[in-house]
Amino acid sequence: MRKQSRTFTLLLALLAAFALLAAACGSDGGDDGAASDDGDGTSATEPAGDDGDDGGGGDALRIAVVAPSASNDLAFTQSMVDAVNAIGETRDIQFDVTDGTFVVEDAAAALRGYAEDGFDLVVAHGSQYGGPLQEIAPDFPDVSFAWGTAADTFGLPNVYAYTVRADEGGFVMGTIAAQLSESGVIGVVGPVEVGDAKLYVDGFAAGATNQDPAVTVNVNYIESFSDVALAAEAATAHVGNGADVLTGSAQMVVGATGVATESGVAWFGTQANQTALGPDVVVASQVYHWEVVLADIIAGIDSGTLGGEVFIATLANGGLVIEYNDGFGLDDAVRTAADATAAGIADGSISTGIE
Amino acid sequence: MTDTDRAVPMLQMEGITKRFPGVLANDSVDLTVLPGQVHTLLGENGAGKSTLMKVLYGLYRPDEGTIRLDGEPVSITSPSDAINRGIGMIHQHFMLVPTLTVAENVALGLGGRAGLSDMRPVRQRLAEVSERYGLHVNPDAYIWQLAVGERQRAEILKALYRDARLLVLDEPTAVLTPPEVEELFVTLRQMTADDKGLVFISHKLHEVMELSDEITVLRDGRVSGQTRPSESTRESLAELMVGRPVELTRNVAATERGEQRLAITGLNVIGDRGNTAVKNFDLAVHSGEIVGLAGVSGNGQRELADAIFGLRPIRSGQIAIDGEPVTAPTPRSVRQRGVAYVPEERMVEGAIGDFTVAENLLLVDYHQPPYTRRGLLNRSAISSWCNRLVENYRVKTPDIETPTKNLSGGNIQKVVIAREFTCDAEVLVVAQPTRGVDIGAAEYIHERLLEQREAGAAILLISEDLDEVIQLSDRVVVVLEGQIMGEVDRADATPRSIGLLMSGVRDGEASASAD
Amino acid sequence: MSEFFTVSVLVATLAGGIRLATPFLLAALGETLGQRSGVLNLGVEGVMLIGAFAAYYTALETGSTVAGIAVAIGIGAVMGLIYAFLTVVMHAEQGISGIGIFLFGLGFTDLLFQKQVGTPLPIPGVGKAPIPILSDIPHLGEIFFDHNPLVYLAFLLVPIMWFVVNKTTFGLNVRAIGQTPEAADTLGVSVNLTRTFTIVIANCFAGLAGAALALEVGIFQQNLTAGQGFIAIALVYFGAWRMPWVMSGALLFGVVSSTVLQWKTLGIVSGPSSSLLAMAPAILTILVLVLVSRRVSAPAALTRPFDRAG
Ligand SMILES: Nc1ncnc2c1ncn2[C@@H]1O[C@H](COP(=O)(O)OP(=O)(O)OP(=O)(O)O)[C@@H](O)[C@H]1O
Ligand SMILES: [Mg+2]
Repeated sequence: MRKQSRTFTLLLALLAAFALLAAACGSDGGDDGAASDDGDGTSATEPAGDDGDDGGGGDALRIAVVAPSASNDLAFTQSMVDAVNAIGETRDIQFDVTDGTFVVEDAAAALRGYAEDGFDLVVAHGSQYGGPLQEIAPDFPDVSFAWGTAADTFGLPNVYAYTVRADEGGFVMGTIAAQLSESGVIGVVGPVEVGDAKLYVDGFAAGATNQDPAVTVNVNYIESFSDVALAAEAATAHVGNGADVLTGSAQMVVGATGVATESGVAWFGTQANQTALGPDVVVASQVYHWEVVLADIIAGIDSGTLGGEVFIATLANGGLVIEYNDGFGLDDAVRTAADATAAGIADGSISTGIE
Repeated sequence: MTDTDRAVPMLQMEGITKRFPGVLANDSVDLTVLPGQVHTLLGENGAGKSTLMKVLYGLYRPDEGTIRLDGEPVSITSPSDAINRGIGMIHQHFMLVPTLTVAENVALGLGGRAGLSDMRPVRQRLAEVSERYGLHVNPDAYIWQLAVGERQRAEILKALYRDARLLVLDEPTAVLTPPEVEELFVTLRQMTADDKGLVFISHKLHEVMELSDEITVLRDGRVSGQTRPSESTRESLAELMVGRPVELTRNVAATERGEQRLAITGLNVIGDRGNTAVKNFDLAVHSGEIVGLAGVSGNGQRELADAIFGLRPIRSGQIAIDGEPVTAPTPRSVRQRGVAYVPEERMVEGAIGDFTVAENLLLVDYHQPPYTRRGLLNRSAISSWCNRLVENYRVKTPDIETPTKNLSGGNIQKVVIAREFTCDAEVLVVAQPTRGVDIGAAEYIHERLLEQREAGAAILLISEDLDEVIQLSDRVVVVLEGQIMGEVDRADATPRSIGLLMSGVRDGEASASAD
Repeated sequence: MSEFFTVSVLVATLAGGIRLATPFLLAALGETLGQRSGVLNLGVEGVMLIGAFAAYYTALETGSTVAGIAVAIGIGAVMGLIYAFLTVVMHAEQGISGIGIFLFGLGFTDLLFQKQVGTPLPIPGVGKAPIPILSDIPHLGEIFFDHNPLVYLAFLLVPIMWFVVNKTTFGLNVRAIGQTPEAADTLGVSVNLTRTFTIVIANCFAGLAGAALALEVGIFQQNLTAGQGFIAIALVYFGAWRMPWVMSGALLFGVVSSTVLQWKTLGIVSGPSSSLLAMAPAILTILVLVLVSRRVSAPAALTRPFDRAG
């Protein structure tokens, strides 16, 4: 018995080391991927000492992101990683990512770790991270935290919140969808009915029915952010029930886009540009450009304000952009009308009707 | 005998030595078996009998010594090796898979045509073997459905089915009733008539005297004597085993019977198979008396004991201790009322194999001072107490930190007995206390039981060993199919009077049928 | 509710249930065999992930789904050998080592995916292969005979695995060593070799299950299995270690899941009640299987390593 337990401890240690190694490499990988994504990774991680002529602070701004899914999920996490890289194009930053922390405890550890390491801005990219953040932020008054998607800073002076009017782009794409649909049935695959997913879905449905009151929008929240198979099955169910246009939000929709491609029905993406998932069926994607929000936050940090404000990405401020897939061949008139709708929402003349 | 004397020995074990950490289990042991003979291995618990046989069967590798089969030196490296060489073994603890049928247990490991486990040819050959040796058991019954005697037959069939020429029987009679033993002996004689060689292990000297051709006695791993029944008596064999003269019969003085301690009224208990195992049972045990519960095993004794101890729910009826009914008994609550239990299945219910001897000795009392103080175990109190018990009860173990499963079968029993007899219980329920226990230890256990009786304990002794029941009990109650068949006082208790009741014949009926 | 009880919706629901059940059915069949021999493997989820990634990546690079399936099974076998070494040879505690395998699979596939693939790229996947004649049967054809080949394979493996366990000498050995390894040992059955076999087979099944998932959805991403491996383990318990019951459980789970999906799609349920309904598959399956199988107990030697003393 004694011998056995010793082997067992040894084994446990080995496996833990193994898992840790894999996890560590995982976040490294995210880094590399992100850096090479923006074309010239060197500018993003250029050592600060090299250019003393760097205007304001003199040091590179150190930004860390903790996010629930993979950096290249073509959805929620990637939208933030791309945004930080975009910031890196215009100023000197040092950037680190811990992705795949769908376990909140892991995310909490990562957040604290970055704060201890003296990062200037630590982004908790996930509404579920609010709890731990509320505990961690007061311990590091000199570090600025950003939390999204959320509209609450907990009244803490070093926490920014950021969110997105996902309903705006949803509304615009909904109007296109209503025009594309011949059957008059549109299917939506959602994760859980909260946050930006709910905003997007509600906006999309409003846009579609606004365009054509006869259209039916079937919404199916599968109660999971990760179950790809279930998302695929939900899409199949929609198609089976006559839907000829689909959309969906969150990272598990990669299952649904496959179904869309297979059955040749149009797809609308959100969060990131999903054209790669279905080059033949993706009509357009509402892309989050968090760099707009990040720029506001960084400006605040530069001026000595570490938090306390909520920033919102909208069509008006360029935080939301609708990117079309040229390969789909959307009718020009439809597109022009959609652009007009988008402009109307941006200048306030059109309301999505969603609060 | 001149014939067999000249025959080539089918087995010669020479100078076999086997060591375990801290134990010299076999010390240069020699054993020779001739075809058509029963060679008995005798010895106290832990003398090394099973170890020697496991070496023969390829389960243990000997540290020294050689084995010859039909004169040829061989090295037996695994059980399948042994099976291929015509060796079969009936293990001290059943080696049957309870969730498989008899036929499947027999066919296990044999392979089959095209890798298929087709039971039809197995059943057929099994029927032939059963017929030849009078070993009747339903091939399609699951082992868990079988009574102990039937399991034993299935166990023997496994070996015969494989054409074993040399058969080792490690305490096959320990769990059998006297009629079953008689049946077994008929089978064994048929085997020797077929020129098979048998190694027989038993602690019951009358069986040894009846069956053996040759006897080898082991003590502390060494051969302490070799003899034949014609040249020995039970007393001389016992002395060879133990190393001192042993009193084999005993006269027990009557004591004053005291107050009623344990009272069972109208008890009904459901058995494992959904049957009513204990039916309308009434029994009272008083302070200072031993009530023997005799009967062929499987007639509800086990369920009764389990029910008293709260291990099995009661269908109806009542169990009272010191006049107070026990409601919803649990082992702990029953123990707190002063009841101790020595269960029949000591490996399953009595002791935890992976625990050390010390841990098993303290299973009941560990949470009380002086062994635990403020929630912490007191090591020195524990080890001095345990060492005393190990010494008093002559438990053969390297030390008290040895895992209990490494002890020999009889020594595990002694650990359980030592624990239960020393917890100052007022009611003792003791099932098969000397099953598989050697003569010296049995004598010791009997003395302790009588000592408890002197001290005023109320003792319910459940045993299949008629000698034991008759010797110790003040009254003998006989059970059959969960019901009381009759009661016999010490003065009238004879193997005949009890044996008749056990087989279902009441006094009146016996004389009636004699008419 | 009436819109649910139309032939076409019911047919789609049942067909969807069968599709959903396939990956965890495959994994559960393998795990059942492993547990019958006394080995618990909580790492099914991890091996499924590895199999899923292997199949996805191979198909992406070579364009061949068959090669993807083969590689997934092969990698499953390798994982099986590793697990057998840990538990059978080293006697490592099975619960903990299984969790270790799971964590390894989770982290390792994530790492490989990011290094080797990066952005999720769809692959063709295994297409539907309607069975001639049978798929033309009205309704039944669509429910049972209009799936991808891995679906047929999974359900074909149920009677095969049942046969292996109950009608072959290998199966007899497996049943014996999962219950009373000592007895099998004394009859010359090699307990540890047999267990190594069952572990390797079980892991091949898990790898195949991962492939079935990745090739059905035609994509890979981090944590693709989303708990299906653990569903498989639960099915083994609640299916009382019997292949047909395990299959019934998998089907029940799949069909209830797809029913819930249909209800939501048709707008029969929405809002908070639909969130509650998401738990229905698990709860219902457990309840039914527990009622059916409550008298059967686990293989007695489950999680107990075997070693002959001396
Ligand atoms: N696997 C083992 N590991 C360590 N010690 C062992 C092992 N098996 C047996 N022993 C020790 O070897 C000695 C001989 O045991 P064995 O089982 O051969 O006795 P036995 O003569 O068969 O006794 P019994 O009549 O009680 O069955 C005992 O002291 C026992 O504790
Ligand atoms: Mg023995």
